Amino acid sequence: MSEGNLAVMKPETMKSYIWLQTADGSIQQVEQEVAMFCPMICQEVIQKGVGSSKNHAISLPQRVKPAMFSLVLDYCRFHQMPGRSNKERKTYDERFIRMDTKRLCELTSAADSLQLKPLVDLTSRALARIIEGKTPEEIREIFHLPDDFTEEEKLEPLKNTMDDPRIRRLNRLSKKRKELKERQRLKNVEVEEHVDERSVDDLLSFINGRDPKAVKKKKKKKKKDQKIVSSYDIHEKGSHHLHSKQQCVEEAGSSMRQVPNLPSAEDDIYTPKSGSEDEDVDDEIDPAMREMLDREVEDFAQRLNANWVRSLGQERRPVHFSINGNGTTRRHTGFRHTLDD
Amino acid sequence: MGEFPDFISDLPQSIIENILTRLSIREAIRTSVLSSRWRYKWSTLTDLVFDEKCVSPSTDRCVVETNLVRFVTGVLLLHQGPIHKFQLSTSFLQCRPDIDQWLLFLSRNGIKELVLELGEGEFRAPSCLFNCLKLTRLELCHCEFDPPRCFKGFSSLKSLNLHQILVAPEVIESLISGCPLLEFLSLSYFDSLVLSISAPNLMYLYLDGEFKDIFLENTPKLVAISVSMYMHEDVTDFEQSSDYNLVKFLGGVPLLEKLVGYIYFTKYLSIGDDPGRLPITYIHLKTIELYQVSFEDANEVLVLLRLVTHSPNLKELKVSASPIQLFPLEEEGFDLFERDYFDYQLPRLETVKMTDVSGIRNELEFIRFLLGTSPVLETVIVSSSLTDKDAKMDMVVELLRYPRVSPQAQFLFLQD
Repeated sequence: MSEGNLAVMKPETMKSYIWLQTADGSIQQVEQEVAMFCPMICQEVIQKGVGSSKNHAISLPQRVKPAMFSLVLDYCRFHQMPGRSNKERKTYDERFIRMDTKRLCELTSAADSLQLKPLVDLTSRALARIIEGKTPEEIREIFHLPDDFTEEEKLEPLKNTMDDPRIRRLNRLSKKRKELKERQRLKNVEVEEHVDERSVDDLLSFINGRDPKAVKKKKKKKKKDQKIVSSYDIHEKGSHHLHSKQQCVEEAGSSMRQVPNLPSAEDDIYTPKSGSEDEDVDDEIDPAMREMLDREVEDFAQRLNANWVRSLGQERRPVHFSINGNGTTRRHTGFRHTLDD
Repeated sequence: MGEFPDFISDLPQSIIENILTRLSIREAIRTSVLSSRWRYKWSTLTDLVFDEKCVSPSTDRCVVETNLVRFVTGVLLLHQGPIHKFQLSTSFLQCRPDIDQWLLFLSRNGIKELVLELGEGEFRAPSCLFNCLKLTRLELCHCEFDPPRCFKGFSSLKSLNLHQILVAPEVIESLISGCPLLEFLSLSYFDSLVLSISAPNLMYLYLDGEFKDIFLENTPKLVAISVSMYMHEDVTDFEQSSDYNLVKFLGGVPLLEKLVGYIYFTKYLSIGDDPGRLPITYIHLKTIELYQVSFEDANEVLVLLRLVTHSPNLKELKVSASPIQLFPLEEEGFDLFERDYFDYQLPRLETVKMTDVSGIRNELEFIRFLLGTSPVLETVIVSSSLTDKDAKMDMVVELLRYPRVSPQAQFLFLQD
C-alpha cells in the first residue's frame, strides 16, 4: 500500500460524533458540527478533550432537560448551516419559539447553561413580548407566580404620595414657611446694602417698621406660580445643592421622611431681624401668623408621624427599604444619608 | 396557585435582566409588584431609558414635567448597582436643577453611555459631566457645553453626538483631540464653525450645519462621511483659501467607503486652486451620493468627475442637480469630457441615479461619460424637474442615443 496512492477521504456516511450525557443519565451522540455550535460543549471538547467516546461523554448541566436539549439541537442543526439567508433564519426563529410559556422558560434556562447566546436572546425577546402590556394579575397567571404580598397592600412602587391630602397640606405649609424664610434672608441682605445710602429719616422709619425701599426691592422676588421648584430657581447654581437635593427628594414622594427634620429647620426662621415685627406690605404672613403656622406644621408633623407608624402594618413603601449586602431588609433612617455627601 | 412552582423566577438574574431590558422602563419596574421575589429584580438593570411615555399623558405640560421628574428621581433612588446607560429624551424637560442632580448621581455610578435630548432652552451641562471619565458614548441636544479648563477629554469616548449645542469652537476641537478612541462623530446645527478635526481612530463623520471651513487634519481611518453644508449669506468668506478644498477635506481618507454630501458641499469642495490630480485613489469607495450639485458651475462638475475617476471600485452613484442658484452662471462649455476623461474606466459601477435633471449640457455630457466608461452598468435612473413635456422628450431622446459600453445598461425614467 503506497502512501502516495492512499487518498484519505472521509466517506459521506462517516461523520464524527460527540457523546453527551443529559441530566437523567442517558447518553446520546450528536453530530459534531451541530453540538459544537454550543459554546459550552465546544469548550469542553477543546479544553478537556472529552466527548469522543461513550465512556467519556460530556455531562450536560442540570438545567438542561432532555426534552429541551433536543429542541436546542434542532436550533443548532438549522443555524449551523452556513448557506441560509437572514430571512430564512428569521422565519425559522419565529416559528421555533411558538411554544407554551413553561417550555419557553425551560428552554431559556437550557440555552443559558449551554452559553448559546443567540438562542437566549431569542427566547428572552419572546418572554418580554409575553410580559409586555399585561397587568400584574395576567402575568402572575401566565407564569404561575405566587401572589405573596400578604400583609402589605399591593401598591405601584412609585405611588404618587402627593395624592394624600394631608401630605399636600403639609407641603403647602412648609412651602409657605420656606418662602418666608427666603424673604427674610433677602431682606437681611438688602438691609446691609442700603445702610450707606439712607437718610436719617429713612433709617428712622425703617426702625419703626416701614422701609419703602426694601418693600420695592422685594416686589420683584414675588413668585408668579406656586410650584415648589421655582422658589429654588433663583439660586440653583452652586451654593445650594443641599436645598435642591432636599426639595428633589421631596418631589420623589418621600416627603414623609422630611417630617422628622422639620422641627430642627425651625431655627432658621427665628433669626432676629431689626424692625420686623410689623405688617410689611409684601409679607403674606405676619409674625403672629407665622408662629401659628409653625405650630400647625409641627402638629401636623407629629400627627402624620403617628399615623405613619400606625399604618406601617398595612402599608409598606418600597422607597424606605433597601437590601443591604447580606440580603436582610433595613429601613432607611431618613434621607440624611443622601444629604451628607 | 400554590401547587405549581413558578417557572420564571428561578432563572438566573442575567436572563431576567435580559428580558427586562427589552421592556420599557415603566413596565420593567411594574414587575416589582408581581411577587416578593420580583420586588427588586429590576433594580440592577444597567440601562435606563426615559421619555415622556414613562408617565401618564396629560394635557397640562407642567403635570407631565413634574411627574417625569419624580419618576426619574424615584427610579434612581431605588436603583442598585452601577448604571451603564442613561437616556433621557423628552422635550418636556429643559432646564431643571433635578437634571444636575441626576448627572451627579450618574457620574458616581460608572456611567458609560449618556444621552440627553432635552427640549429647547438653556440647560447648561454641569461640571460633574466632565468627571464621567468612563464615558464611551455621549449624546447631547440643546445644551450649553462649557468644560472647566483642566478638562482633558474623555479618554474612553467612542461616540460623540452634539446637536444644537452652545459651545466655543476651540472647545470642540480640543474635545475631539482629547478623545483618542473616538470612532463616531456627529456635529449638527452649528453656526459658522471653522473646524480642524484630528481623530486618529475616527471612522464615521456626520456634519450638518453652517461650517465655514473644515479641515480633516488627521483622520486616516474614516470609512463614511456625510456632510450637509449650509452657507452663510456672505459668500466671500468661502472664496478666501487658495488650497483646494477637495484635497483639504478628502485628501487624507484612503479608507473611505461612502461619501454623502448635501446642499453646498460640492460647491465647498470646488473652491480653491485645482492642482490637476488628486493625491490619493479611493480604492474602497463604493458609494458616492452628492446632492444639489450645480452643473452649470464647471468647478463643481470637475469635483464630481475627479471623485468618480479616482474611485476604481465605485459601485453606486447618486447625483442630484441643484435648483439652488447662488449666482446665476453662464453655462460654461465643458469640453473636458472630450479630452481626458473617456480614457478612464469605472469597472464596477452598477447603479446610477440622477435626479432633478433639467437637461442642460453638462448634465447630459456627464451621463454620456458614465455610459461610455462603465462596462457592468445595469441601471440608470433619471428623474427630471422639467415640466415642459417637449423638453423632457428631447432630453430622453438625447440620452437614449448615447452609446453604452455595458450591454445590460437600462434607463429608468421616473416622474418627479
